[in-house]
Formats: sequence, structure tokens, C-alpha cells
Amino acid sequence: MKSAFPLGPETNWQKTETPEILRPSRMSRLARALALIGTIATAVVLGLWSAHLALTSEELFQPIRIGVWGAHPLAGTPQADPYSAAIYARTGRVPLANGEGVAFVATTDSSGEPLSPACTYRISGQTPTARLWTLNSADRDGHLMPTAGGRVSLSSAGLLRLADGSFDITATRRPQPGNWLPLGEGNGLTFVLRLYDAPITTGASLVGLTMPAITRVGCP
Amino acid sequence: MSRRNLVRIALYSLASLLLAGIIHIFVVLTVPGHVRAEAFARLARIGADRTFHVLPAVAPGAETLPMLDPEMGHALCWFRLGDGPVRLSAAVNSPFWSMALFNGAGEVVYSLNNRTSGSGELAMLVLTTPQLSILRENPPDNLDELIVIETDQAEGFVLLRAFVQDRPSAGLISKALSGARCETLRTGAPKSS
Repeated sequence: MKSAFPLGPETNWQKTETPEILRPSRMSRLARALALIGTIATAVVLGLWSAHLALTSEELFQPIRIGVWGAHPLAGTPQADPYSAAIYARTGRVPLANGEGVAFVATTDSSGEPLSPACTYRISGQTPTARLWTLNSADRDGHLMPTAGGRVSLSSAGLLRLADGSFDITATRRPQPGNWLPLGEGNGLTFVLRLYDAPITTGASLVGLTMPAITRVGCP
Repeated sequence: MSRRNLVRIALYSLASLLLAGIIHIFVVLTVPGHVRAEAFARLARIGADRTFHVLPAVAPGAETLPMLDPEMGHALCWFRLGDGPVRLSAAVNSPFWSMALFNGAGEVVYSLNNRTSGSGELAMLVLTTPQLSILRENPPDNLDELIVIETDQAEGFVLLRAFVQDRPSAGLISKALSGARCETLRTGAPKSS
């Protein structure tokens, strides 16, 4: 820049050096517009993706977890947390009320591996006290899968038990002696264990309760 | 890259994260209102109001509602409180059976099972607050045998579940379920004593 006056000691005050951090700087108009659009687009994608993830993966927000089994005991009541409410609404299911029982869902085996309907699992141990419980297999979305055995469930009423009251259930596609829970062909696998008229639905403590362990016996 | 640009990128990312959080919360909170209507519209088409409809046995590919227990028999009745209080009664010969009362949005209002009820039979009276005050003026004779449930919802449904222990008892249980009653209580005109 050409100065009207020659630079000298008298005009040097005009040339004060502002430190880098204080110097005003603006992005160009195009850069600002792009940054704004980018910010909003990232936010929309992130927000929708995280909401989808939270509502489709059953096990992320389960208020009660015992071992690999998780439950939403308050779902379907006005006191439900927003995630339970949204998960139940999205799948359109009618919840078990707490005067009836509680439904536990397992999506992984006890070592943390996702369940697969092609594998053989052993479900063994004991359940918390309940007047009745039922166990059924379903696919990843909770739909029942057709099986070779013609049934998809078993109940505590028709169960063979060991001398100490515990049980062993074999879940597989091929018929088995003893307690057999038939599995079907489908996309993914979940086990649903429903405890009916159980003290834990009416506020009894969860401490010291055990749920059956799910062990993978083998996969073809 | 200059330090200034780094700061700028960090600020934009922070804005993006905060906005994403707002969108996430908004989606999670609005999902129930939007999606539930669809699920329950299917339920409402099941048949006439004020009768128990026995749902078909829960089997793969033939599920009326998702996540029903295949070991149970189910019956469902829609009711409206606009015409008067609704009286529900059922008696099922099963080791376990239960009744749950839902409002129109699919939220549980009240529930009980055959052991909480004490006797083998179960009777409930569902009404709104104004109807309750009318009923107090002129109580029916058997009021002490009824479980009275006050609700602020104009409509809702009742779901009966009964454990089916074996195939032969399935027929008996679905008969008992369809025999359950879900009817509007006809209160006589107040006595002018």
C-alpha cells in the first residue's frame, strides 16, 4: 500500500502490529455457507442415526439386567422412560403389565456372542421365583419362526427338572431328548423368558437373583 | 493448518453435536405418538366394541400382535366410557390368567391376575370421575364385589391372558375367554325416596 506520506518516526504509530490472535478474520461468504450446511447435515445424520440405533437395538436401554437377560418393566405405563416407550410403540407390542408379569429378552449368549438360530444352545440354571414362566424363541425383531417341532415355546409347567430344582433346556433345530426348545429358520435369534406373577414385578429386590445361563454348545 | 482454523473446526463440530443431540431427543420423544396409532388401528379393527374377541392362537406368521406369549390364550375387548361405566367379568379355569386394562394410547391403567383377585372369578367396573360420583349416589347392590377403577380416558381396551397348559385344554380356555363379559353397566334411574 502506498502511503501519502513517507513513513518515518512520526507516522509509524499507524503501523502497529496487532498480534495474530486479535486480528479480525472472517471466512469468505461461500466458506461460511458451506460450513453452516455441513454442520446442519452432520447434525441431522448423527441425530437420526443415533435415535435409530437406540430404538432398534433392544439391549441398549434396559433398566433391568440380570446376566444376559434384560427387561423393560415399566414399558407401557405412563412412568416408562422415553426409550422404553418408543421401543414398545415402534414395535406395536402390548406390554405385560406389572400385575401380570415381566418379560426378559436375551440377544446374546453368556459369552457375549450374538445368538444365531443355526447354533445349539444350552439354557440352564434357575429363574427368579414366579408362579409360572414360559420361554420362547423368536427372530431379531421378536417375530416367531416356524420350527420343525411345531411349537416355539415351553413352560415351567411341563419341564423336566434336576434334583435341585434347576433345569437344562437344549435349544436347537434338531429334535432332542429332555427339554427341547425348537429353533426355526430366520434372521437372528432372541430368547424371551416371561415370568408370571413374580415378586420382582411388585418391587421385590433384584439383588441375588439369577437367570439361566445361555451356553453355546456348537454351530454347524 | 493454522491454530485459528483448528478452533473454528472444533466450534463447528460442537455445534453439530449439540444439534444432533436435540434431533435425537426430538425423534425419541415423538416416535410413540406417531407409530402407536398405526399399531392400535389394526387392533381396533378386530370386531365390535364391548365384546371379548378371542385372538387366534399365537403361531409363527399368524401373530395378531407382536410379542404375545405363544403359551397363552388371549382375548381382547374395546370399550368406550361415553355410554356409561363398563363392567368386566371373567372366570377361566387355568392355573394362571390375568386381565390388563389399557387406555387408548396402549398404556397400562390397571392389571391383576387370578391370584390377586382372591376368588376364581374376577369382576371390575371401569368408569370416569363424573360417573363415579353418580354411582355413589345410587350404588348397585354388588358394588363390594367389584374392583372399581377410575380413569380419565374415554376409551381403551382390556386384554385377558390365560395359560394353556396342554392342547386339550386349549378349546376349553378359548371358550371361557369368549364367555368373559365386557358390557356397559345399565344403571337404573335414581330412586326418588
